[in-house]
Amino acid sequence: MATIKAVKARQIFDSRGNPTVEVDVILSDGTFHRAAVPSGASTGVYEALELRDGGSDYLGKGVLKAVENVNSIIAPALLGKDPTKQTEIDNFMVQQLDGTVNEWGWCKQKLGANAILAVSLAVCKAGAAVKKIPLYKHIANLAGNKTLVLPVPSFNVINGGSHAGNKLAMQEFMILPVGASSFKEAMKMGVEVYHHLKAVIKKKYGQDATNVGDEGGFAPNIQENKEGLELLKTAIAKAGYTGKVVIGMDVAASEFYDNKDKTYDLNFKEENNDGSQKISGDSLKNVYKSYVTDYPIVSIEDPFDQDDWEHYAKLTAEVGQQVQIVGDDLLVTNPKRVEKAIKEKACNALLLKVNQIGSVTESIEAVRMSKQAGWGVMASHRSGETEDTFIADLSVGLATGQIKTGAPCRSERLAKYNQLLRIEEELGSAAVYAGAKFRAPVEPY
Amino acid sequence: MSVQDYLDKHMLSRKLEDAVNAAVRAKTSDPVLFISNHMRKAVQSVITKIKARQILDSRGIPTVEVDLHTNKGVFRASVPSGNSTSMYEAVELRDGDKGVYLGNGVAKAVKNINDKISEALIGMDPTLQSQIDQAMIDLDKTEKKGELGANAILAVSIAACKAGAAEKEVPLYKHIADLSGKTSPTLPVPAFTVISGGKHAGSNLAIQEIMILPIGASKFEEALRMGTETYHHLKAVITEKYGAHNCNVGEDGGFAPNISSFREALDLVKEAISRTGYNEKIKIALDVAATNFCIGKRYDLDFQSPQKSGQNFKSAEDMIELFKELCSEYPIVSIEDPFDREDWEHIKHISSLGICQVVGDDLLMSNAKRIERAITESACNALLLKVNQVGTVTEVIEVVKLAKEAHWGVVTSHRCGETIDSFIADLSVGLASGVIKAGAPCRGERLEKYNQLLRIEEELGDQAVYASEDWRQ
Repeated sequence: MATIKAVKARQIFDSRGNPTVEVDVILSDGTFHRAAVPSGASTGVYEALELRDGGSDYLGKGVLKAVENVNSIIAPALLGKDPTKQTEIDNFMVQQLDGTVNEWGWCKQKLGANAILAVSLAVCKAGAAVKKIPLYKHIANLAGNKTLVLPVPSFNVINGGSHAGNKLAMQEFMILPVGASSFKEAMKMGVEVYHHLKAVIKKKYGQDATNVGDEGGFAPNIQENKEGLELLKTAIAKAGYTGKVVIGMDVAASEFYDNKDKTYDLNFKEENNDGSQKISGDSLKNVYKSYVTDYPIVSIEDPFDQDDWEHYAKLTAEVGQQVQIVGDDLLVTNPKRVEKAIKEKACNALLLKVNQIGSVTESIEAVRMSKQAGWGVMASHRSGETEDTFIADLSVGLATGQIKTGAPCRSERLAKYNQLLRIEEELGSAAVYAGAKFRAPVEPY
Repeated sequence: MSVQDYLDKHMLSRKLEDAVNAAVRAKTSDPVLFISNHMRKAVQSVITKIKARQILDSRGIPTVEVDLHTNKGVFRASVPSGNSTSMYEAVELRDGDKGVYLGNGVAKAVKNINDKISEALIGMDPTLQSQIDQAMIDLDKTEKKGELGANAILAVSIAACKAGAAEKEVPLYKHIADLSGKTSPTLPVPAFTVISGGKHAGSNLAIQEIMILPIGASKFEEALRMGTETYHHLKAVITEKYGAHNCNVGEDGGFAPNISSFREALDLVKEAISRTGYNEKIKIALDVAATNFCIGKRYDLDFQSPQKSGQNFKSAEDMIELFKELCSEYPIVSIEDPFDREDWEHIKHISSLGICQVVGDDLLMSNAKRIERAITESACNALLLKVNQVGTVTEVIEVVKLAKEAHWGVVTSHRCGETIDSFIADLSVGLASGVIKAGAPCRGERLEKYNQLLRIEEELGDQAVYASEDWRQ
């Protein structure tokens, strides 16, 4: 039985040219297992703390302290441990080595969630290797899940909000190939729609609109949100996939919420904004309902501010059967907030971001809670990613049913999709694609 | 066969005794595991299986990925692809069925690997790179690898190279250095794309790339820091002048603000460098890619602009004057493809002026014959090396040797369609190319090459040498 012989961290760069933590876990059998952590552009106030150096180097974004915390504190403490004991190792790092707590749970403030997560992911990979099983199978075993499922990809193809420089308030428009018969076919559909969309956008907005944002999506100079939906509808039709490829939205409404007068300003990106487009939560809810009526929308993420529990619950009650309401900023993958949202029926799907919760064990727990409540789960990337493909295996092992990892553009996004192609190939005839059942592909475990 | 004969034939007792003795000497805490690994290493590896698949590159376009199995492990490679392919470079095999991935599928190339190449190479020793590469070339039978596909052949060639390094238990860059005969591994100066134009981005800028080279850094890590900080400052400069809408990126991660003048673009870069305080330590390089906007004997600087004024057609002589002016006004140290690939006359002229390094990309296409001609005619003084234009690792090493023997510089280069395969990072170190051009410090497929160079520098420790001021040698 191989044990942990060394743990070594270094600073590398994510897809936005920002520093991030990479960790190698070296086992006594001589093998090493590497992981790197993602990072978000719009971090929620309730998520685990990412430790940055501050100062002027790398414009304040260095992670040398987090790297040092791995090398001098975590590494010595993990020597000799069995990497297949994921829960033990994660709890040891989170509760003992770090130990910081706030009202929402373990906040990882001392060592940094980026330090802890990088080790947690690398240990998980090492554990799979020791057991001589694929990573996704190891994750399934850790979770107690008996059914592996290839997720429906949710391709981010049009960007707005804080991820893009146009006037679009809503952050992302996504396409989901729910009508594909396999993940491979879903990739084909997604890629073809993406390229048709590029052609449509180029023709309508000029070639400068075909440059891409942090996640590979286009940011055409659209004046209003509905225009984005029309573009998607056109591209899907041109590719010949009407009915098979449907639409999802990530609104990220916290970005344009005014806490003082409790309104949502759809014009928040306008420089000389007069506030004339501010609307109430109820009005915004009705905007979503009209979109759902007019377009094949199956998922809306972050439709309201992260503390606007009231309107979340209303929207979920009114359209939740037909449309998945995904909590990202609302939940930040935090078990206590998930529990509250389940109780208040505020939404019906979890956006799973491993770096918001900070360890593999806690990620699994958040997913398990969601599934037991009958919720959907969408495994998600962050806007700053590396070539690490952990979330691809995670989405299969936990049978999340859905994965959101950007456009079929930029290889830190494609790396995840390519890994899912390999997993499906490896599973052969045993491969099951979530398809239309993406909201509940397996029984709760 | 008796037990004793079997033991004698395979020298089993001796080998086991050696392994046990090694475990005892090492005083290892897990002797069985140690012995198991020791015995595994003692076996000469051969290629046992080759399996290819179609994956997607950084533009969402199909490319070939290969897993090559030996008893030491599985070695994976995937191949890059360019926008501007030409008659002189190795042929990429695409399916052409418009109804599948808009004609860009590579199912045929994948099949060629799984059927023909696999059968030909199974049983071969992965350390014998030139024999493996030659076997594939012989199997293909065409001059430009069009039968099996250069994308098929290269993927296997790179995977075999990785397997060979593992077999010899040396890092990939060391294995490549050994294959090339004699070089000291050197960390290259990165040429970071910071502004994209031409075919690589949607903007009106005719030239394809503006790059910054942190020549004044003391090590690669510092160079990468200089590059990322400048890049982020450039984003701020562009946002201030043109709005956030202009901060989306092109295929290689460069910004593509809606400008059309070379000077306007260079001023942005200059301002960004100034804000970092690295003024004398960072130089500028241009990739003009003039072939893309040459019409007859003239150059259309407005070729990307939807509203053509017709006022920006330049003669080759005008272009030379422009380059001379730019090189005197800005710290430009390298110009790639200043003229059309067939305009040998003017390329020679600008090289003879000695105002900067002149890099041949479209001019040479990493083609040995064109390199020889360019050396003979002193047409340029640096090679842009693109591995997929050549088609095998062995041939890549040969063209680099050719360039270096002529005292040329070598720039190891990415393509606009890349994957997370970081082979060119190890290649640039192993061949001591001096410069690597892998795009902006943005987009995961670009950063993966730069991140790999960080790991190599860390691994080399005190032995690490950064090309720095010697980047052209």
